[in-house]
Parts: sequence; structure tokens; C-alpha cells
Amino acid sequence: MRPTISGPVLHALSCALLFATAPAQEPEPGQAPPSRPAGEAKPSEDKAAPGNAAAPAAPRERTIAIHAAHIHPIAGADVENGIVLIRGDRIAAVGADGAVAVPADAETVTFAQGHVYPGLVDAASDAFTDDAVRAETLDAGAALADGLRRRGDREDAIVRAGITTVYVGGRGNPWSGQGAIVRPTADGFAPFPGHEHAAVGMRLAAGAAETHALQRQQLIETVFRAFAELDDYKKKLDEHQKALEKYKKDFADYLAWHEKKNGKAGADKPADASPPANAGNGGGAREGQDAQPGARGGQRGGRGRRGGGDGERPPQTPAPSPTPAPQGPGDGKPADAKPAEAKPADKATEKTGEKPGDKPAEKPAEDKAPERPKYPKAPPREPSKDALLEVLDGKLPLRVEVVRPDEIRAVLAAARDRKVPSLVLENVLGGAAIAADLASASVPCVLTAVWPGTRPEAFAAFDALQLPSALLAAGVPFAIASGSGRRAGALPLMAACAVGAGLDEAQALRAITLTPAEILGVQKDVGSLQTGKLADVLVCDRPLLRSDCRVLAVWSAGATAYQTEEPR
Amino acid sequence: MNARFDRAPHAARHLALLLLAALAPLWTAAGARAQDLLVQCKTLVVAPDTVVTPGELLVRDGKVAHVGPEIPAEARTRARTVVFADATIVPAFVLAHSTLGRDGDLVERRTALTPGLRAADAFDPFGDELKRLPRLGIGSCALAPGSGNVAGGLAALVKPGAAMGAVAREASYSKLALAAPARNPERQPTALMGAIDLLRQSLRAARADQKGDPDLQALASVLRGERRAFVHADTRAEILAVLALAKEFGIEPVLLGAGDATDLVEAIAQARAAVALWPLQPAMRDEVLRLPQTLETRGVPFCFVGEPGELRAAAALAVRYGTSRRAALAAITRTPAEFCGAADAVGSLRRGCDADFAAFQGDPLDLGSRLLAVYVGGVQLFGEAPKAPPATPDITRKDSL
Repeated sequence: MRPTISGPVLHALSCALLFATAPAQEPEPGQAPPSRPAGEAKPSEDKAAPGNAAAPAAPRERTIAIHAAHIHPIAGADVENGIVLIRGDRIAAVGADGAVAVPADAETVTFAQGHVYPGLVDAASDAFTDDAVRAETLDAGAALADGLRRRGDREDAIVRAGITTVYVGGRGNPWSGQGAIVRPTADGFAPFPGHEHAAVGMRLAAGAAETHALQRQQLIETVFRAFAELDDYKKKLDEHQKALEKYKKDFADYLAWHEKKNGKAGADKPADASPPANAGNGGGAREGQDAQPGARGGQRGGRGRRGGGDGERPPQTPAPSPTPAPQGPGDGKPADAKPAEAKPADKATEKTGEKPGDKPAEKPAEDKAPERPKYPKAPPREPSKDALLEVLDGKLPLRVEVVRPDEIRAVLAAARDRKVPSLVLENVLGGAAIAADLASASVPCVLTAVWPGTRPEAFAAFDALQLPSALLAAGVPFAIASGSGRRAGALPLMAACAVGAGLDEAQALRAITLTPAEILGVQKDVGSLQTGKLADVLVCDRPLLRSDCRVLAVWSAGATAYQTEEPR
Repeated sequence: MNARFDRAPHAARHLALLLLAALAPLWTAAGARAQDLLVQCKTLVVAPDTVVTPGELLVRDGKVAHVGPEIPAEARTRARTVVFADATIVPAFVLAHSTLGRDGDLVERRTALTPGLRAADAFDPFGDELKRLPRLGIGSCALAPGSGNVAGGLAALVKPGAAMGAVAREASYSKLALAAPARNPERQPTALMGAIDLLRQSLRAARADQKGDPDLQALASVLRGERRAFVHADTRAEILAVLALAKEFGIEPVLLGAGDATDLVEAIAQARAAVALWPLQPAMRDEVLRLPQTLETRGVPFCFVGEPGELRAAAALAVRYGTSRRAALAAITRTPAEFCGAADAVGSLRRGCDADFAAFQGDPLDLGSRLLAVYVGGVQLFGEAPKAPPATPDITRKDSL
């Protein structure tokens, strides 16, 4: 049973504290995020009111028709002389000029020679993190979303490069906390609602130093042992959950006995009758301390915060010896307590040592008050283990940075042994040698090293530029990512490097748009120019992968995020 | 005894056969070289400002004999023809400063002044780094003394080859340094002030030298303008010191590194200095990434040097950040050739130049353009065998960018 009170409210408070801009309510999985979180600063060019999606009764939505010579939707064939129609924060239509009905009140923007692409998706970055976060080992329970800085030294260049969605992860070794998906803006970023906790990160690349392969594998096995150590923790959680269920039932019986004794069945419950509200959430000492294993992941707003409460104290403890007094009318609503059953009586008889069937008619069981049930003590919560349990439940992907083939193989084996359902590999520089293994394991890869240059001698055999082609040939889904906020501006050139090494251009474009969106689980909203998706639109003066390509304009969720001052 | 006499002619015959077998490849190779090579392509970039479409190049004895419409009809018919139908052929890239992985052997650490040492003496014609150059589109490279000395010695222009590399120019430019690596706490100079003074004293001595001291004469050739001086200077103070020395001694240096030159472009232009930039990296600051554009705007010659694998990407990044394609291509072909004093041989495909060229699927400054083949001295060192020739080439137009 999900918590009914503390979850949304505390989650909203938490998000407000974390981002100061986050929406008040977390959307259901798969639900489209709002165009712009309330309070988020937006570019001055944007004349539309922010947060339109949060106000469905808004009088009108801004409609923009982008005319361009070449439209590259990524999902589907290219369109010559086409239109991308934006309504509010979503794409309303994409098609050839004449095939798309443009409303009379639509703003029209024309790029006579322009090339239009979906906003780019950078599937691995350290943008908005500070040096300490990048270097520090963060356990699986530490959420980067809690500590992202609003603006660094070069983050403003990210959206200017046409990148509208970024996965931000840590670089800690071996644990790098939980990464977040954010939406870069001209003056910072906005969280991607519902994806503030996007994956648990690990860094298992041993580096270029000379190490023994078995030593590296041993390290990986040691780190993955954390998943095996969850059994005791999970058992305690399950036991506590069962105790809570029992407590809830006993308390309902306890209430029912008093109500029946007072002759007011269905009337007000005793003044201390609040436990059912928290009985289902493990005491709810703090948000994020959800005791139900089945409810993990449903309360992401508070998960991962350090120093959470131990959940031992119920919020409203009933009086030690309740003496329900006759209650007057209007004192409250009746509880959803079940009608009194024989159980309190049974308990009473047990207490006196009499057998229930000995003297059935002599002394009514109702005469003896049942003992008030004791609230079960919750086990201490460990955010790190909670996060790992979510990984095992498939609610959070596990992202592992690896370089060498033996590291990749060891991680695949460890993840298989630990039954990690969703694994994403990052960097994967030496992945070409075991592309078949990656394909058979169906593990997507985020390539962060697709750039020419000197590599340490230990990595000299790995061809970073040929890697995308090798993975494509093996059938491994891959994204090309910057790996760093400072390199974000060169993301299209990285894709171009892969083309120069033999990758098809359409595949290279997909590797920086739709495929990373799929890997991040946000393909319903971003990654291609399709009706219904967020209106993330990038307009360039020539094909994106050419070196002299200039970004002319960027729309992020329908709002102008960047517009060049040069004449187009 | 008879048997011994019988064996002698056998031995002689064996020896003759062995000699023939050994000489046959040489004879065949000489015969192959004697035949001209006609290279056809979609676009031929003779130099950054000269483009021929469709392109044709006649190679004779490893050098460019004719270009485009200048090719005599008779030579055209006799030549072996190779075709890169949709390709763009450009001069093979020139890397103006590299140690080719031999850093340790290119610095004499005991003394700070070794201007007469020659990097050519430490050249390894079988080095792995040298063999790697063709598949990066590079046809020649200046093997330079390291920056560990204030005056390190003379660079050598070297080339990769089919079996082994070769030195094309033994004494190219003079390598000097004021940057941090030249200051060594275990010997003089230990500080920038000392390095500047040491260089000044050396240049004065070279100017006054009448005895023909080899070390001083190496510097004197710089003062006479016979060769360029590459001066490693990273910080503003180092750059300004080099510019001051250049003014004092009337030389036009090439500033090597010059990462902090963003604020000093005007001073560099006024000193008629040039810049050899380390490869641009995506993670660099915007002002550094835009430095090539600033240099181009101000008319300061510049090239890219350093790690061979990053040369082309550096030029592409410069284009991404505003540099024109022409200037970016010049920065990896003609300009470094000029800095090395070898513009008559490498960096362009004009008549008489070495037939060092690279064929790309498209524009070489687009990283999506695949490198198809690289020829050095008319010999293919990288790439697949080109296709058969078309029926009749149509040379119709010659224009400039």
C-alpha cells in the first residue's frame, strides 16, 4: 500500500528545496513532463507564460510554425521544404509545406536554407556538478540532483550547441551516486520531472596504469558484492512490513472494540486513532523512509538524502492507556475501521489464560479491553541499499563506466550473476573486441571517447573512432556523448568522427538524439521531431555534422532557448 | 676432387641467382618509378587557395610534374592512371613540430644551450609513430628538439616511407624555449629572467661570432633570416619576452604553444611573429578555441602542431569556432611547410613539389569525410587500391576558393 499523505506533500516540499523550481507533483511514469517547471527562469525572448502545461485552462497556447528547407526528424524520412508546428511546449505537427495546417495566429519563423533537427540528447555529462562531486566517491544513495549547481563556467554553451537534454553523472570511483536528467537552459538548468534520479552510477575503469586483469576483475566482483549484501536488509524490511500490516489490523480491531463498547459503531474513534494513516508507511518519520519494499521508487523525492530518520517514531502516538470517552457529535469523521470481530475477545481470553471455548456464555468478551497494539520498530534505513534494491527491482538502471574488454566482460558477468535487469555501460573504449557479448547481453552503451587523439599505451589498441561502427554491426544500441559539460559544444563533431570512420550518417545523428533518449528512458518526450513530443528544436545553417555548421536557433519545450544574432 | 670442381660452378650459379633475386625488386621498382602516375579525382586542392575541378595530377619520379589542364596529352596516355572518383585530394598534412614519441632522445639536459644539435641525428626511420603518420593524412613531419633547453637544436623534416622513413631536410628551423620546461632547478637557467638573459646573451654572441662556432652559427642563421626560430612560450610573460627579443634582434619568430596569446594578438601581429598552436581540444575555453579565428582576422600566420592524431580534428574545431576553411587547411599544409622552410617541397601540390597527397571522401575539414588514401613521394602508404580509370576525363574548369 502506498502512503497516502506523506508521499506527495513531502515530495513536493523536497523538490522545492532541491531545485527551487520543481513541480509540486511527480508525474506518473510515462506521463509527459510539463513544459517548464513553475518559477523557472526563461529566456527573455520567450513571450509565452511559463508553466503553461501546469495551467491547462490557460486562454491560449503559443503556436510557432518553423519553416525550413530541410527537416531531419530522425524518426522517419527527411522532409524538404517542411514545417515544424509547435503548440505550447509540444510538437503539434511535422510535415511538408502544404501538408501541415498552420493556424492563422501562429508565429512564423522561416529559415530558407536551414536544417532542422530535434534537440540533441547528451547521454553522459558532468555539467552542473562541481569538482568535489566529480571526484568524490558517492555511494548509491547519494543523489547528484541534490547538489547540482545552477551555472558553471561553460554550461551556458550547452543549450547554445543545441543540446536540450543531458544526463548528469558523477565520476566517483567505484560509486558515483545517482545521476539526474536535466534540461539545460540559457541561464542554468531545469530538472527533467520524474527523472531527477535516473540511474545509479559506478566507475569500474581501472585506468591506464598497468594492472593485472584478474586484479581488475576482482575489484569489479568486490564492488558488485554490495548487491549480495542486500539480502539481510531486504529481509528486515519485509519483516517490518509484515509487522506493520499486523499492527494495522490489530489497531483496527482495537478501535472497533472501543467503538462497539461505547455503543457508537460507526461514530468517532478515539482521539489517538490516527495510526492507520501511517501504518502503511513504516512510521513515516521522514519522507523517503518508506518501509514498504513494494513502494520503493514511488517516493523518489526523498530517497537518497543522507541522514534520514530511523523511522522508529510514529508521527501520532496514541496515548499509553487509551480510555475512549464518549464522543460528542461533530468530533470527526468515522474511521474506516472494520466492524468488531471476535479477535479482541480472543486476545482478552489469552491474557487471562482461559481457553476461548471454556466458558462461552458466562462472561462476554467485550467486557475486557484488548491490549493496545505496539507500533513495530522500523529497521534503520540505508539510502544506498534502498537505491540498490531499486536497481534490482529494475526501477533504476545501473550505469557502469568501463574501458577495457576484460572489465566489460567482468561487469556483464557480475550483472548477470546479481540479476541486474537494466545495465548501461559508459565509455566502453575497448568494446569493439567483445561487441558480440554486449549484443547478446542487450546492454546499451554510452560512448564518451569518440574523439581522435593520443591515448595511454594501455589503450593504444582501442580505436575510439571505429567503435561505433563495430557496435552497430554487432547490433549493440549506442549513444555518442560528450562525457563532459566542457566538451558539449563538440558533440556533433564527435558524431562526425564516427562517420569519418565508416558509420552511416543517419546512425550518427541517431546516436546523439533518439538512441540516447531511449537509453535514458525519455524517448516519449525527446529525441526526435514527432507529434506529441516536447518541442525541442535545433536549427542550423547547414548539415549538423559539418565543421562549419552554425546554430541559428534552439527551442526547448517550445520556448526560445537560443537565437543567433547573426543574420540568417 | 672432381666433386669439388663440380660444386664450384653450382655455387657460382647459386650466387648469381641470389644476386638476381635480390636486385630484381630494385629493377622492378625503378621501372615502376619511371612510369608516370596520373591521379584523377573530383576536386584537387593544389593549395588552400587553388582548387581544380575535376582534378588531375601527374606524378613523375615522386614529384608533381603537372596539374590539371597543364598535363600534356602524351604524358596522359603513357601514365598509369588511378581514380578517386568522388574524392577530394589535398596536400598531405605537414606537422611542424613533433618528437614522434622520442622526447627523451631530443633534449640534452646537461646544458641549457645546444643550438647546434641536430634532431636528424636521433631520427629513427623505423619508429612506430612515424609509421602511423600516413593513416592520419600526414606526409611530412618536423622532428624537433624538446623544450628542455633554452636553445635545443635544429629540427629535421622527416617523412614516412613504404619500408622506412627518411630525412627530407636535415636542418630545418631552430628550436628555442623560454617556457617552464626550459627552466631546470638543477642547472641554469632556473627562472624565466635567467632564461631570457641566457637567450639574449647567446643571440648577441651569435651576432658577434667570427670564428664559425657551430652552435653560434646555428643561431646566427636565424639572425640572418635563413631559417625560422620556433620559440616555446606559453604564458603572457614568456610571449612578451620573445616579442621583445624578436624586436631587439630583428627576427620573426614562431611562437610555439602561445596558449595565453588571446590577449596579445595585436602585439604578435605588430612583431610579425607567427604562432604554432597545440591542437585544439573540445574542452578548451571558448577564447582559446576562437584564437585561430582571431589570428586569421589579424593576419597572423598560424599552424597546428603536436600530437599527430589530433591535427585534423584541431583544424576542424577551428572551423567550428569561426576560422575559415581556407585558413584552417593552410594551418595544416602550407603554413607549417613555410615555417619549416620547405614550402617548395611540401604543403602544396604545385609543380615540382613532392607528390605527397591525401584523398578524402569529402572535405578534409569535415570529420565525417573518410580518408581514402595517402601518397608520399608518389607512393601509396595508406588506403585501398584506387578504382579503374573512367573513359575520358573532362578537365573544364580551374578556379580559386
